[in-house]
Amino acid sequence: MKLNKQNLLKLAEDLVKYAKQKGADQAQIHIGDSTDFSVEVRNQNIEKLTEASARGLSIKVILDNKVATASSSDMSMDTLKKLIDNAITRAKLSSKDEFSGIPELEKIEVDIDSLKLFDPQILEVAADEKIRIAKKLEEIALKDSRIKISNGSFFSSGFGATILANSNGFAGYYEQTSVATGVYLQAGEKDNMYEDGWYDVSLNWAGLKSVEDIAKKAVNNTTRMIGARKIPTALMPVIFEANIAASLFGFLAGCLSGSSIYMKQSFLTGKINTKIANEKVNIYDNGLIPGLIGTQPFDGEGVPIRNKTIVENGILKNYFLDTYSGKKLNMKSNGSASGVTNFYLEKGTHTPEQIIKSIDKGLYITSTIGQGTVPTTGDISKGAFGLMIEKGELTYPVHEVTFSGNLETMLNDIEMIGNDLNFRSSVNSPTIKIKSLSIAGQ
Amino acid sequence: MNNINRRNFLKNCGIGMGMFVASGSLVEALFAKGASNAEVNEKIFGLSTEDIKKLLEIGLSKGGDFSELYFEFSVSNSVMMQEDIIKSSSESITLGVGVRVIKGAQTGFGYTNELTFDKIKNVVLTAAAIANSPKSTVISGMLPKDPVRQVYTMDNLISDQKLETKIDLIKSAYSAAQNYDNKIKKVTASIADSFSLITIANSEGLLISDRRPQVRLMVNATAEDNGVRNTGVGNDGGRIGLDFYKTQSTPEQIGKKAAHEAITLLTAKNAPAGELPIILNKNYSGVMVHEAVGHPLEADGAWKKTSIMWDKMGQKVASPIVTIYDDATIPNLRGSLNIDDEGTPTENVVLIEKGKLVGFLNDKLAAKQLKTKPNGHGRRESYANNPIPRMNNTVLAPGEYTPEEIIKSCKKGFFADTFQGGMVDSTGKFTFSVNLGYLVEDGKLTQPLKNATLIGSNIEVLNNIDMIGNDMGFFLGTCGKDGQSVPVTCGTPTFRISKMTVGGEA
Repeated sequence: MKLNKQNLLKLAEDLVKYAKQKGADQAQIHIGDSTDFSVEVRNQNIEKLTEASARGLSIKVILDNKVATASSSDMSMDTLKKLIDNAITRAKLSSKDEFSGIPELEKIEVDIDSLKLFDPQILEVAADEKIRIAKKLEEIALKDSRIKISNGSFFSSGFGATILANSNGFAGYYEQTSVATGVYLQAGEKDNMYEDGWYDVSLNWAGLKSVEDIAKKAVNNTTRMIGARKIPTALMPVIFEANIAASLFGFLAGCLSGSSIYMKQSFLTGKINTKIANEKVNIYDNGLIPGLIGTQPFDGEGVPIRNKTIVENGILKNYFLDTYSGKKLNMKSNGSASGVTNFYLEKGTHTPEQIIKSIDKGLYITSTIGQGTVPTTGDISKGAFGLMIEKGELTYPVHEVTFSGNLETMLNDIEMIGNDLNFRSSVNSPTIKIKSLSIAGQ
Repeated sequence: MNNINRRNFLKNCGIGMGMFVASGSLVEALFAKGASNAEVNEKIFGLSTEDIKKLLEIGLSKGGDFSELYFEFSVSNSVMMQEDIIKSSSESITLGVGVRVIKGAQTGFGYTNELTFDKIKNVVLTAAAIANSPKSTVISGMLPKDPVRQVYTMDNLISDQKLETKIDLIKSAYSAAQNYDNKIKKVTASIADSFSLITIANSEGLLISDRRPQVRLMVNATAEDNGVRNTGVGNDGGRIGLDFYKTQSTPEQIGKKAAHEAITLLTAKNAPAGELPIILNKNYSGVMVHEAVGHPLEADGAWKKTSIMWDKMGQKVASPIVTIYDDATIPNLRGSLNIDDEGTPTENVVLIEKGKLVGFLNDKLAAKQLKTKPNGHGRRESYANNPIPRMNNTVLAPGEYTPEEIIKSCKKGFFADTFQGGMVDSTGKFTFSVNLGYLVEDGKLTQPLKNATLIGSNIEVLNNIDMIGNDMGFFLGTCGKDGQSVPVTCGTPTFRISKMTVGGEA
C-alpha cells in the first residue's frame, strides 16, 4: 500500500501549486484512498460479499479571504484542474470573511508508527477466513434456543490512507486498518419480538474480541428483553448501560463543536470555564492513545492531534475547535477539524452491580431508539428499552417507554460512575447513574 | 454500526448534510440535448455498448444468474449564507460504477471510480466469484433506451443557474428569517442542488439512462430571549426547477417558517408524560407513516422473515379507515423517480387498503424470493451501494374530516406540529420525535410544547388511527437504512391516533 504514498502526496502538492498559480492565496488538498471487504451472512449462507476500492479528493481555496470548496471521486487531472478553476471563480462570489484561512504550519511531533493505526495482518488474512468468522459468530449465537430469528452477522475489514497538503507547507500521510464483526438477532414470541445484537471493532487483528464473547453479549442483549412490559409514568433514578451512556456523551460532543458554539446553537455557548456537570465528572478527548478507533496524528486541516481536557471536576475546559471556529471565538484550533477523536468519561470506582444495588426503584436503560436531541437547549427525549430495578435487583424487562430530560441537568445529576470504561468507538463511557429522570409509559 | 438494523429518518436541517447540488457549465456540456444515450455513455463513462455487454457476460462467467452495472455521474453544488455573509460555495463530482452479480439469494458486489475497461473487469470478476460453476453466456440485443415516464421537470433547472441566481434565492430566505422578529439572532440559509446521470445495464439486456435533478433550500434560525434560545428550521425543494421557488414555495416562506418555529419554541414548555390522544399535523407527520408502515413493508424484511409484517399479507393490520400507498410517480417530489435504481419503471404501489395489508415494496432480489414482480422500489445511495427495497413517496390517503373537526374532537391531547425524525426496528417498535407541538385542551390548540419523542408498536398504533382529515401535506426527508441514505417524501392529511405514549415531564 505504501507504494501509493509518494504518488498521492505528489498529486496533493501539485494541486496546491496549481491552485496558487491560478490565483488562490491559500489552498488545501485532502485525499482519501480506501479498500474495503465485507461479508454478510444470514442463516449460515453468504448473503452479500463486497470488495471495493475508492478514492476521493477535496479542495479548499481562499483568495482575498473568500472561500470555496470542491470534491471529486473522479481523479482525472482534467476534472481536478477544472474543479480548482471553478472554485477560484466561485470564491470571488463569496463574501470576505476575516476569520477564513488555513492553519499556520505546526510540526507533527508524534511518531505515526507509535500510534499503531496499521496492522498488515488485516490485509493478509484470506477472504475465506473472514467469511468463516462471520458464519461461526452467527452459528454460536443461533445455538441459544431462545433466539428465533437471525437478522444476520457480518465481518468487515478495511484499509484507508489519508493525505493532506496545504499552501503553508504542510504535507502529511497516514494509513489505517480496521476490522469489525457483529451479529444481530431477534428473540421473543410471534408479534412480540425484540431485536438487539453486538459487534466489536479494532484497528488490529489481535484486538478483535472472540466470536464466543461477541455472540454471548449479542444473545444476552436480545434475550433479556423477552416478555418486556410498559411501566407507569414516573420520575425515577436511571442507570445507563455503558454503551448507551456513550451515546449521551456523543450528544454532548456535538454540542461542543465550535460551529454550534459561535452560531449559538448549543446550550454550552458561553459556558467555558463554568460548571456544567457534577464535580465527579472528568471528560477527555485523546487522539494519541495507540491503537484506538479515533486515534490519528493530525486533523483534517493538518493541525496536530493532542490530548484535550474537556471537562475537569465538572468545569467545562475546551470546545472542539478548528481553525475557523477558533478564530471566531478568539481562541485557537485544538486539532478538531475532524471532530472528536477518542472522547471519554473518565471511569469511576463502582462496579455496575454496585450501582444497580444502590437503587430501590429505578430503570436500567440498555437501548434507545429515535432522535430527540436538541443541541440549542440540551433537551433530550428518546424511546428506551431496559430492565426494571427493584430493591437493588434487576427484575423484569421494560419496553415502549421514553426518558426525557435536559443534558446539563443530567450531567449535574450524575451520582455514580462505573469502572467499566471500554474504548469501542470514538465516544466512550462507563455505566452511569442519573439521580432522576422522567420516564413516560402507561 | 450499533444500529445496523434500525432504520432512521432524519430531516436534513444542518449545513453540510445531504449535499445534493450543481454547476451550470459542466452540466450543460455533459448533458447536451440531442446526444444519444450511447454517445453520452461513451463520453461520460468511457464505455461503448459493446464493452458494457462484454462486462456483463464476464459477470455471468462463473455461473451467476444475473449481472448488472450501475454507472453514476453527478455534479452537485451548494452555497451557504451565515452571519450576513456568503461564507462559501461547494462543487462536487461523483463518478463511479457499481457491479453486482446475483446467484440465488446471494449477491457479489463491488465498485470503482476508475472507469477503464480493465479496472471494471477486475471488479466484475471479483463480484462474479459469488458463483462457482463456470459457464459461458451470450447476452443478445442490448439497445440503449430512456424511461417511458418523465416525472421531473427539466425546465429551468437550478443546476443550470448561475451561482449569482442561487445566492439571490438564499439571500431572500435569509432576510425573511432575520427580519421576522428582532429576537432572531442567528440565521443560516443554503441551497444544495444536484444533477445526476444514471445508466443501468444488466444481463437481461436492459440498458437504460435516467437524468435526475434534486434541489433543497434550507434555513435554520436561532431565536434568543432572556437567555432562552431555540432553533427552528424550514426547507423545501424536490426534483424541481427555478420556477418552484417563484410560484409554489418562495424562499421568503421557507425563511419565515424557520423563524416562526424558533420564536414559538421560546415560549414552549416540556410536554406532559404518558399516554395521550395524538393529533398529527398534515405538513410534517408523514414521518409516522414512513416508520410505522413503510419500513416494515420493504420486501427484504418479508423474504428474510425479519419484519413483523412478513406473514401478514391479506390480513388486517390497521384501522379500516387507513389506506396507505407509495407512489414514486407523483411529479417533482423529492422522492419521485422515473425508474428505480435497477431500471424498473416506477408505479403507485398500494400497501394497506382499508386496513388490510395488500402490498410490499419490492426490488428484483426480493421479488424473486417472494415469487412476485419487482415494483420499482430498488434504490441505492450511490454506485458504491447495492440496491435494496426502499420507499419513495409514502402517503396516507385522505379521509372525511376537516382538520378543525379533528382538533375539536379532542378534549385533552398532544398536537404534533413539526418533527426531527423517526426510527423503527424490525419488530415494529417505532418512535418519532416532535420538535414543536401544542397541548390540545377542549378542542383548541393552547400551550406550545417542545422536544417530545413518541413511542409505540406499529400494528397497535395503526389500529388506533381513528380520524383522518381531508387535507394533505408533504414532508421532505432523507431516509437511512443499512448505512444508505436516499431522498424520500411522505405525505399525510391531519389525523388522530386515539392514544400513544408521549415522552415528556413526569
